[in-house]
Amino acid sequence: MRLLSSLAITGLSLGSAFAASWGFEDATLTVSSKGAGVGSAGVKEKLTPNSPLTSYAVTLPAADTLKIVLTATEGKTGKRPHQPFLTLHDTTTGLEESFPFSLKDSGKGKVEVTQKDLPYQLLTSKSPLKASLVLASFGSSTPYASHAFDLALELDSAAPPATPPASERYTSKPEIHHIFKAEPGSPPKVISFFFTLCVLATLPVLLGAWALLGANVDHFGKAFGAAPVSHGLFMGSVVAMEGVFFMYYISWNLFQMLPVAAVVGTVAYVSGSRALTEVQDRRLAGER
Amino acid sequence: MRLRLFGLALGLLGFVSALSAQGQNLLVVIEDESDKTKYSQFWSDLQDRGFQLSYRSPKDTTLSLFLHGEPAYSHLLLLPTKSKGFGPNLTPNLIVDFVNGGSNVLLASATSKKAIKNFFSVDGLVAFPHAVGQVLGNASPLLASVIKAPATAYTYNPKEDSTEGLEDVFATGAQLTLVSAFQARNSARFTVLGSSAALEDKWFDASVSLPGSTSGKTGQKTANKAFAHALSAWTFKELGVLRVNSVTHRLAEDTRAGITNSTAVSAAPGDVNPEIYRIKNRVHYAVSLSEYSGTHWIPFTPPAGDAVQLEFSMLSPFHRLDLTPSPDTTNPQDNATLYTAEFVLPDQHGIFNFFLEYRRPFYTNVEEKRTVSVRHFAHDEWPRSFVISAAFPWIGGIWVTVLGWLGFVGLWVYSKPGGARRELKVGGVGGKK
Repeated sequence: MRLLSSLAITGLSLGSAFAASWGFEDATLTVSSKGAGVGSAGVKEKLTPNSPLTSYAVTLPAADTLKIVLTATEGKTGKRPHQPFLTLHDTTTGLEESFPFSLKDSGKGKVEVTQKDLPYQLLTSKSPLKASLVLASFGSSTPYASHAFDLALELDSAAPPATPPASERYTSKPEIHHIFKAEPGSPPKVISFFFTLCVLATLPVLLGAWALLGANVDHFGKAFGAAPVSHGLFMGSVVAMEGVFFMYYISWNLFQMLPVAAVVGTVAYVSGSRALTEVQDRRLAGER
Repeated sequence: MRLRLFGLALGLLGFVSALSAQGQNLLVVIEDESDKTKYSQFWSDLQDRGFQLSYRSPKDTTLSLFLHGEPAYSHLLLLPTKSKGFGPNLTPNLIVDFVNGGSNVLLASATSKKAIKNFFSVDGLVAFPHAVGQVLGNASPLLASVIKAPATAYTYNPKEDSTEGLEDVFATGAQLTLVSAFQARNSARFTVLGSSAALEDKWFDASVSLPGSTSGKTGQKTANKAFAHALSAWTFKELGVLRVNSVTHRLAEDTRAGITNSTAVSAAPGDVNPEIYRIKNRVHYAVSLSEYSGTHWIPFTPPAGDAVQLEFSMLSPFHRLDLTPSPDTTNPQDNATLYTAEFVLPDQHGIFNFFLEYRRPFYTNVEEKRTVSVRHFAHDEWPRSFVISAAFPWIGGIWVTVLGWLGFVGLWVYSKPGGARRELKVGGVGGKK
């Protein structure tokens, strides 16, 4: 309730021409390292309530301390506000952090900020931080909140700030596409065809060599004349067995192929023994 | 049977004005009966939306959140009490059990030691008098901030002397949350509203103005009523509730074309949700999603930049794919969006899941897992050797062997010995004689 009542009063006082407002006097900003004396401050600037220091960004090295001394005033008199803050704001991410001044009753006081006080997100900001002064309290006075200066951070390159672990959030995750193993490949077809031709060429070479050695089929008629059924079945079953293997290769499974092979094999065994008896007869007759 | 159905239909008609996707029973815990009138607009808004409100005092000894071990109410609204706690019937443990049972809680607080003070703004539209800020830890994805405090807000202890300047600030600015939402893994919702006064009639009708605005403006009516409506609607599951209407997956190719003798353990192209696939099968996945919008289900569309994702996983995801939305035309009664993907299964056999996990802040969790086996290639599903050029020399070798064997058998059986060779043999034998 206190908030809104103060708001209401603020609204009323805005209407009237006279209204006290918060501000500050005698504000100085220094950046100094710890060991250095008072006189040897690296940066020393005067801050005024109505004109922010925008000509350059104040640099805060890793070991140094940023110190602001000021006197808070309500109207013309020095007084301590309830909310005296130095607020650092990262303009790209919108993140911010406030540091309270420690003020005396007279409104005099200071705030000190080192890089250790800053959270990781502000330390690693790409652009200079926007520093504002906020002075406000209960009552009817107009509060003060204004851009005061820009703060650039010079990180210690030897000891970079520890990266906090990323916290879990429910969002969509990056897509994953499975990486497939390479498809099985073949060597160039030219090579395959060359060796295929080499292999196929061995057959004419073999047949030619046999022919040179005097191989022939002159006893074909004689054999069929003596035992036509045996020879016909035997040669037929040898060719048929190759046919069974061929069908097995093309489409048959083992259970289709085995019975047929058994039949053909039996025929080959029975007819083969008869046919070979005829061959033996020719040998005994001295014709082989 | 018909009578019973009729009765059921009547019952449904009776609840037609009810809005929550979960239930209508709302327990309001309010200490002082006379305080009830302060929130009359909020109550009537809730009642208009179909909630059945029961008002109980935390001191009521018969008050129990559970009936026969189950949550007795679908929703709970806790208003602040003057004492520190809510008493033995509403201990934190009991409320946690209540949430674990799937019920939703809206906690309006005003009795915290930390109070937010803000001199500069009332967030434009919504007034949070006497707000209590919350600081959310960074670790849990279940927590979400609904309204953040303005940049110049900070916390202080009002019991300390306010004329003292403050030295130690707990949290400032947007680090503070005025309204925060928690959604448990079972999608039960727990909302903490930093200011119970924001629900009061007084602030529903109040006019506020931003400080620093031109003095001529008298102010703007607060949006508290609309905000209270939205906040209670979300908490009590009238908003952000998702429903899965159907999940289907099927083969998107005819793998058995041209194979006369394929293995029996295989998905046919027409099968819906088969239990087994083969590696490198092209499959089609579709899930139908609806969102509850207060009174009825509407097609669900994710926020811009977000996507519903499907994982095809065995321990870890092998595929994680954004699903493509399209209107669900096959089941128009569902009023849903169909999310689809077509992809090739990985070249790894095993037990896989089609895993749809959609967890987002402010939406109920969707988790749909469909387990399938993925087998490797059967022996008769590989390419035949005669289409592999590298096999040609071997196939040629087999043919050469076959023809050479037939030729050898023919020559062995039918060959007539040549005369010259015999003479050579005879001569050799004769020489020894």
